[in-house]
Amino acid sequence: MIGRLSGRRVPWPGVAVLTLLVLLLPLVLPPFGVGIATEVFIMAIFAMSLGLILGYAGLVSLGHAAFFGAGAYTVALLGQYVFNTYLLLLSATAVAALLAAISGALFFRSTGAYFLMLTLAFSQVLFAVAFQAEPITGGDDGMSVVAVPDLGFGEIVGELGLYYMMGFAFLGCYLLLRLFVASPAGKVVKGIMENELRMRALGYNTFSYKLFVYTLAGAMAGFAGALYAYFNFYVTPDLLGWVLSGQALIMVIIGGVGTLLGPALGAAFFIVVQNYASFYTEYWALVLGLIFIIFVLLGRGGLMHLLRAVWNRTLPSRFREREDEMEPEEPAAEHQKERTP
Amino acid sequence: MSLLAVNGVSKAFGSLQVLRDVSLEVQPGQRHVIIGPNGAGKTTVFKCITGLLPADSGSIAIDGTDVTGMPAHSRVSLGLACTFQKTNLFSELTVEENLHLAVTARKPYRFRIWKPLSWYEDLQRDTRELLQEWDLWSRRRHRVDELSYGEQRILEIVLALASKPRILLLDEPTSGMSPAETARTTSLIQEMPRSVALLVIEHDMDVVFSIADYITVLHHGEVFLSGPPEEVRGDERVREIYFGGGARPHA
Repeated sequence: MIGRLSGRRVPWPGVAVLTLLVLLLPLVLPPFGVGIATEVFIMAIFAMSLGLILGYAGLVSLGHAAFFGAGAYTVALLGQYVFNTYLLLLSATAVAALLAAISGALFFRSTGAYFLMLTLAFSQVLFAVAFQAEPITGGDDGMSVVAVPDLGFGEIVGELGLYYMMGFAFLGCYLLLRLFVASPAGKVVKGIMENELRMRALGYNTFSYKLFVYTLAGAMAGFAGALYAYFNFYVTPDLLGWVLSGQALIMVIIGGVGTLLGPALGAAFFIVVQNYASFYTEYWALVLGLIFIIFVLLGRGGLMHLLRAVWNRTLPSRFREREDEMEPEEPAAEHQKERTP
Repeated sequence: MSLLAVNGVSKAFGSLQVLRDVSLEVQPGQRHVIIGPNGAGKTTVFKCITGLLPADSGSIAIDGTDVTGMPAHSRVSLGLACTFQKTNLFSELTVEENLHLAVTARKPYRFRIWKPLSWYEDLQRDTRELLQEWDLWSRRRHRVDELSYGEQRILEIVLALASKPRILLLDEPTSGMSPAETARTTSLIQEMPRSVALLVIEHDMDVVFSIADYITVLHHGEVFLSGPPEEVRGDERVREIYFGGGARPHA
C-alpha cells in the first residue's frame, strides 16, 4: 500500500505529491507566475513555522517577523564579507534560533495576551534597531543584498533557478516538520497545549519542550527570511515589523490552525490574492481583510478544512482520511497486532 | 526510612493560612488515607508534595532525598505520581493517546524529534498492558470525552500508574461515582501491588476503612490526629469534627 512502511503510516504520499507539484508547476504557470510561486514557497516556510507554535503548541505570537527579519538581515549584513551560501543560510538560521531561545526563555513566564504583547514588543525593538542603525543597515531605506546564491553548482541567477531553490527548501522544511509533529517530542508538545498541568504531573519538563519548539519555529522563520533576502536582493526594516507578523497570522488562520500544510496553503492564497488584487485595485488589503473576516466567522478550520471536506465528499470511502494531518498513526497496524498478542 | 516524609509544611494563600505545620510520613507499601472536612487543606498538601504548588516553609523528602525546592517533573522521576480531584485528562485525545503521553514520560526517547511516536514497540506494549489490566482496552480508540465518568476516573489512575511510581497520590478517587463504580474502584485500589505505596484523600468512610492501614485527620490545615484505623474510628473528637462542630458530613 502507498504510504506504508513495515505496516506503519508515513507521510510519503503527501511529500511525493508536493515534490511533483514543485517540479512540474513551472510548466503550467504563466511567465510572471514563477516569481510569485517562488515568493509563495518562502512565505509558506515562514507561515508553517508560525503555524507550528500556534497550532501545535498554543503559543500566539504577534512578533514572529522578528526571526524572519533577523534571518534576512543576517544574509544582507554578513553577505558583504562571506559568500558561501550554505554558511550564510546556516548563520541566519542560527541567529534567529538564538534570538528565539533567549526571548522564549524570558517570555514564557507570561501567557495569552501578555505573551503576545511581549513578542510584539520584541519584534518592535529589532525593528527600531534596524531603523536607527543607519550607517550599518541603511535605516529606513534598507540595504541591498550583494550575496548571490550558489549551492555548489554555479551561481543561481535565473528565475527558474531561484524557484527550484526555494521550492526544495520548502519541501525540506515541510518534511522536517512532518517528522517532528509525529515524533515523541512533537506529541509531548501537543499534549502540553492540551493540558500543561497534567503534563507536568506526568513528569515532563514542559518549559524545555516549549522553548525547544519556539526555537525551532524561530530558526525556521530565520531560514525563510534568509531565503527572502536572496529572492528580493533587498531588505528593509519592514521585514521585522508587526505588519508582516500579522500577515503571517492571517496566512495561518486562513490556511488552517492545527495543520502543517494549512499555513502553507494560506501563504499561497495570501500572496496570489495580494498580487492579483493589487493589479486591479490599490485597496487589495481591504479585499484580503474581508476574506480573512469570512474565514474567521465561518469557523477555525480554514482552507485545509474546506479541502478535506471536498476530498471526503468526492472520493470513495475507502480512500477517505488518508491525508488526515492530525493522525499519523495507522489503525490497521494495530488491528493486526491485536489478533496475535 | 520512610518513603515520603512531609515535615512541618505550611502554606498560605494571601492572608488565608491553609496549612499549618503539617507533618506526615508514608512507609513503603503503606495505604495511608487523609481525611478531614472540606477546606481542611487536603488537596493543598497534595499539591505541595507533588510540587505543583511551592510550600511556604517546611520540607518534603522522597526516600531520603530532599525535594522541597525541586520542580514537579523531577519528583516524578523519584517515583512520585498523582491523580487529580477534578478529572484532568487530555479530553480531545483518545484513551490510547492519553496513555502514550503518560508512558512516554519515563522513556529515554521522550526528547527525540524524528522517528514517529507510534513506531516505538515498547510504548505500544506498555500501553496495551496497562489498558488490558484496567479493562480499558476496548475503549482505546474512543476520545476521552466520550467515556463515562467512572471510566474517566479510572483512566485518571491509569495515567498516574504509567510512570511506575513507588508512591501514588490519589485525590478522592471515588468522588462523584455511582455506588457500583465506587465498589469497583475500591476493589481495584485494594488489588494494587504493595510495591506501590498509596496516599489517598477520601471522603467515603466505607472506602476509607476498606483500604486504609494508616489514617491522618486534617482539620483547619493542621494534623488533628494520626494513627491506625481502629484508633481513628474510636476517637470521639474525630466524630465531633465530622458530624458535630458545624462541619458538613461527607460519608
